[in-house]
Amino acid sequence: MTAVIETSKLSKWYGNVLGLSDVTLQIEPGITGLLGPNAAGKSTFLKLLTGQIKPSIGQVSIFGRSVKNNYALFSRIGFCPEQDSFYEEMTGWEFLTSLLKLQHFSATEVKPRAERALEIVELIGDKDRLIRAYSRGMRQRLKFAQAIAHDPEIIILDEPLSGMDPLGKRKLIRLIKDYKGQGKTVIVSSHVLPEIEALTKNIILIHQGKIFAKGDIHYIRDLIESHPHMVFIKCADPRRLSSLFLGEDYVLKLYFGPGPQALLVETNNRDKFFSLLLSLLVKNRIEVEEITSPDDNLQAVFDYLVGK
Amino acid sequence: MTIREKGYTHWDGELKERRLPWWPITWLGIRLAFKKKYFKFIYFGSFIPAFVFLAGIYISERIEDFRYMIKGSTRILEVNPAYFKTYFTSDFLLFMMVMILVVSAAGLISDDLKYNSLQLYFSRPLEKRDYLIGKAAIIFFFLLLLTVVPGFLFIIFKLLFSGGFHFIASYPWLPFSVIVYSLLLTSFFCLYALFLSSLSKNRRYVSILIFAAYLFLDILFGFFYENFRKPAFALLSLKVNLQQLGAYIFKQKPAYPVPWYWSFLILLAICSLAYFVLRSKIKGVEVVK
Amino acid sequence: MIIELKDIHFNYGRIKALQGITLRLSEGAVGLLGPNGAGKSTLLRILLGFLAPQKGEGRVLGYDIRLEQSHIRRYVGYMPEDDCLIPGMDAVTFTAHFGELSGMPRQEAIKRAHDVLFYAGLGESRYRLLETYSAGMKQRLKLAQAIVHDPKLLFLDEPTSNLDPQGRKEILELIKDISSKKDIQVLISSHILTDIESVCSDVVILNKGQLAAQGKISELKQLHFRLYEVKIKGDGEGLVKKLKAMGYKVDETEDKLLKVYMPAEREILEFFRAAEEEQVQIRRFVRSQTSLEDLFAKAVGVD
Repeated sequence: MTAVIETSKLSKWYGNVLGLSDVTLQIEPGITGLLGPNAAGKSTFLKLLTGQIKPSIGQVSIFGRSVKNNYALFSRIGFCPEQDSFYEEMTGWEFLTSLLKLQHFSATEVKPRAERALEIVELIGDKDRLIRAYSRGMRQRLKFAQAIAHDPEIIILDEPLSGMDPLGKRKLIRLIKDYKGQGKTVIVSSHVLPEIEALTKNIILIHQGKIFAKGDIHYIRDLIESHPHMVFIKCADPRRLSSLFLGEDYVLKLYFGPGPQALLVETNNRDKFFSLLLSLLVKNRIEVEEITSPDDNLQAVFDYLVGK
Repeated sequence: MTIREKGYTHWDGELKERRLPWWPITWLGIRLAFKKKYFKFIYFGSFIPAFVFLAGIYISERIEDFRYMIKGSTRILEVNPAYFKTYFTSDFLLFMMVMILVVSAAGLISDDLKYNSLQLYFSRPLEKRDYLIGKAAIIFFFLLLLTVVPGFLFIIFKLLFSGGFHFIASYPWLPFSVIVYSLLLTSFFCLYALFLSSLSKNRRYVSILIFAAYLFLDILFGFFYENFRKPAFALLSLKVNLQQLGAYIFKQKPAYPVPWYWSFLILLAICSLAYFVLRSKIKGVEVVK
Repeated sequence: MIIELKDIHFNYGRIKALQGITLRLSEGAVGLLGPNGAGKSTLLRILLGFLAPQKGEGRVLGYDIRLEQSHIRRYVGYMPEDDCLIPGMDAVTFTAHFGELSGMPRQEAIKRAHDVLFYAGLGESRYRLLETYSAGMKQRLKLAQAIVHDPKLLFLDEPTSNLDPQGRKEILELIKDISSKKDIQVLISSHILTDIESVCSDVVILNKGQLAAQGKISELKQLHFRLYEVKIKGDGEGLVKKLKAMGYKVDETEDKLLKVYMPAEREILEFFRAAEEEQVQIRRFVRSQTSLEDLFAKAVGVD
């Protein structure tokens, strides 16, 4: 798949405060999750992508063209910022249509586009209410509406789910996944890792201004060699089971518990371990209740790469 | 041998109901005021007239000793109720009180509104009136110290230096006047400052407001009075209203021929407005949104 | 019984915020869920002793919610959603101040403030001015002032908002530790269901002013038939065919992810035997439960 966004040695300093340092990557269509601790450089990265600030070193190119002063490009990008700042005296409708007009859409195009966007986010009924009267969730949806109203090919969302109730989140997640199906590129930045996991397996982890990881969560997990994989097994007699694979050298550590029927194994070779496990279970007629990998998730990847 | 348990530990004390539930607010406000840069300077500066007047009392008594230096037998400096009135209604003292408000009182409510700490206060066993009393007590502390204490010190010094009680005998209502006027000044300024503090979330804006409203009304009065010479305009200026009342309470002739009860009514109206606005501003803040 | 509410009604003018809530909660951590406008904040206000219901009665910590409101507020800790601080002071003064207002003697409040600030992870920065605090530190500060007076009931409103992944993990661990103590009831209002699941044992779901669901999360989520989530490595086609032939129902949801419905008469061992025969590794095998999200959606009556 061709890259939609490409950066090359991208760096940004504010005076001598570090923003981003030497970032070279490509982003393909689909949903990419962007995560990192506070002050890691995520907002700097997003601002550089949308052309809001200029890099100190390096460059960003979108659709093969440099972002620098390229206003034509901006109409193909939709941005949903984290901050909540609206013109409170406007109605939702006025807000959306004025932004669309700024995008040089003619009057005849503005109305249907705004209507469609508001329908998608289910704010069409409240379009003539003042933004001042909107609840948190409604504001969030309005922000999303303005990001998609001009049908951009790239949508950048900064904490899009914050403040929404679980049902609203569900709807928005479905909406974002729809965009993936349409071949668009979506970048979602969030602190709530389970929400990123619900959206995509593809992530970019920024820390201290650098890219600490990029790619599929599970492949990244495999690459983290310093932390062997953990496998959690619940069965009737864990001690008997464990005695059967104690002799293997790819079983590094064993923990019993919590509770008398649980076992946690650390292994550096999952392939061999799972093959062995399966044959042991069958041969010894062991009833297993649960097999899971507690650290094969985004939080664990984050902790291993970023944590102290 | 023991090891300290890890994790959350309980407190083994008992939560008691306080006699004065608002006292921590007051004590904190006083400490925070003293931490501010210019406050000490302004506050102690406002005691200068007190020292001057105290010295004046000493001199006026001892002037007998210098009599031989003076031609004529009239007393230059006489300590009587007019003396008290001069101290309590001096432009400088009133102005310094406003400056004290600017530095210590501007943020009292506006900071709580800006930083959302009202939620924390009201999730404690604290009523709204306790909160307001606590804040008011901070201002009362500073201003009463500046008015009642010097007032009584004057009386005591006068008695000490004149060596007898005839001063008190001639003006037995004087201590009472000192208390009443001090309370009046303090209560008015307190409500004035808290009212303005509740209007805005920005402390700087409130401090400008406290200062400017006082000054502006005085300038307005001066402008109209100079141009139209109608004494009724005196009621425009907060300062003049306070001074008119001071003159009445110390049984002196007021500066403008306007009856004292007009000044009192105006100040009372402002205080009532302030009180109702305060109640509604605090009431309007919910603990949980 | 820490919270007992019977038929609580509350209206803001013509808006009916709560319509007949009856609730009994004892120790443990409870999650309070509901769509926006469901009545969560109103319920919290009533529980905090801040509003009196128009109809109905209740007791919190044994105190009547109409007549003994300030008693309730003495023994309750509240961690609000918005940032709140008092400028010009440090964390110790701040925390001790609110401890004093709750009824602690001055010296005790200071002592406890230090303890609680260390516990919340602000030990190193407790003498710094509050204006210099980062978002995560402000969150911990809010937690500290909520627990300084050792409350018996703790309300946490969106405790992980504005925190980065590390901060979220740490706050959740603190909350888990606090709620593991047997004598504090913790009530958490949050929209992040994974947080609620990791900390709370019970959940209360409100919708349109009424109680939509209440109970232990594990019981509510339990599926009464044997559905398993299975992740495999290897060629799954053969395995799926074999399982279906054995009477299993198999759904392939994502790449290598199967939902396997095991008939009652079958043994788990047969499943694994089938896998071994097909040379497919089983890398994940866990009993499916309704997700809290689905529970929520069902309780609230949406799709």
